[in-house]
Amino acid sequence: MPAERLLDDNVLLEELRKGTPQAVEMLFDRFHGKIFSLAMSILKNESDAEEAAQDVFLTVVQKAHTFKGNSALYSWIYRICVNTCLMRLRGKRRGETVSIEDFMPVFTEDGMHASLIDDWSKEVERKALDKELGQVIKRFTGNLSEKYRVVFVLSDVEGLSNEETAQILGLTVPAVKSRLHRARLYLRDQLARYLREGKTE
Amino acid sequence: MICKELVYLLADYLDGTMEETLRQELSVHIEMCEPCLNFLKTYDKTRILCRQIQPEEIPEEMRLRLRSFVLQKVSEHHRDIEKYLERAAGERREQVAGILRAYVANELSPTMSVLFRAHRERCPRCGGFLKGLNGGKEFPAVPPDIEEHIAEFLEALPPGEVPPLP
Repeated sequence: MPAERLLDDNVLLEELRKGTPQAVEMLFDRFHGKIFSLAMSILKNESDAEEAAQDVFLTVVQKAHTFKGNSALYSWIYRICVNTCLMRLRGKRRGETVSIEDFMPVFTEDGMHASLIDDWSKEVERKALDKELGQVIKRFTGNLSEKYRVVFVLSDVEGLSNEETAQILGLTVPAVKSRLHRARLYLRDQLARYLREGKTE
Repeated sequence: MICKELVYLLADYLDGTMEETLRQELSVHIEMCEPCLNFLKTYDKTRILCRQIQPEEIPEEMRLRLRSFVLQKVSEHHRDIEKYLERAAGERREQVAGILRAYVANELSPTMSVLFRAHRERCPRCGGFLKGLNGGKEFPAVPPDIEEHIAEFLEALPPGEVPPLP
């Protein structure tokens, strides 16, 4: 079987069902990066992410015959990955998460901004590729509770559409939009504090 | 339009799903309100920055370990499936041999006998093969298509009828 044929999702699935070893290799090589980074952003720990990734691959192979093809293969795999990670989280003591309410914008009684809003968008452009800023953003998102974090990672980091995120998480599109919006408001506020004060709290 | 409303409508405004009249109302407010303009710029910037986050990369050592684990487990899984399929095929072969022996020795239950003879008359392939058996001599190997027919026949038996033991 020529390796290029396995790039076709339907061929890949068909060969996985048959247990063709090259198909398993192709599945691994194509998806391990995404699966690992997604698992890391939910579980925030390398060895947990590794174990979750093991489960994800075995589940994908075992369930290959149940894939209906009414969504893209990658979104089916993401769904398995998210579910696997959330199951693992259920059995664990969760890390500290912040209360998102503390970072929502505040308004005066007549609905005007109650705090000073600086424009730091230009300032950050010079820092755009700054490694430190990337780490800071990761730390901020890591502190979000997973209700917001998972939606945020799929939509704003992985770049999936709201519809795809909703399908993967079994949420409605409006629910995805509102969680995403709150996660961005939180992050915007954290970044503003960080850039203003040069500290994170 | 007040600032508070604007903040909660920003996502729709930026992703272009907002209805036109509302959109214009928002644009008018933004032009007049510096805090809201700044809020919009920084909110949008936040989105853009997040797209640039480097995904967490898997350490090479872990990648290799994970890869061999997955390949190993999947091949075990498929060996189990193959074993199961072989065993199922073996059981089927025995069941077919069982009914053929009982047929030749006239030991089929009355119902089974009626049904089996009906199949024999209906199906030229099985009919020919079964007539060849009537001599009661050495048992010939059962051709695959006939084995499949008889296995299907066995699967569709009426309630209470069990296939004769091999």
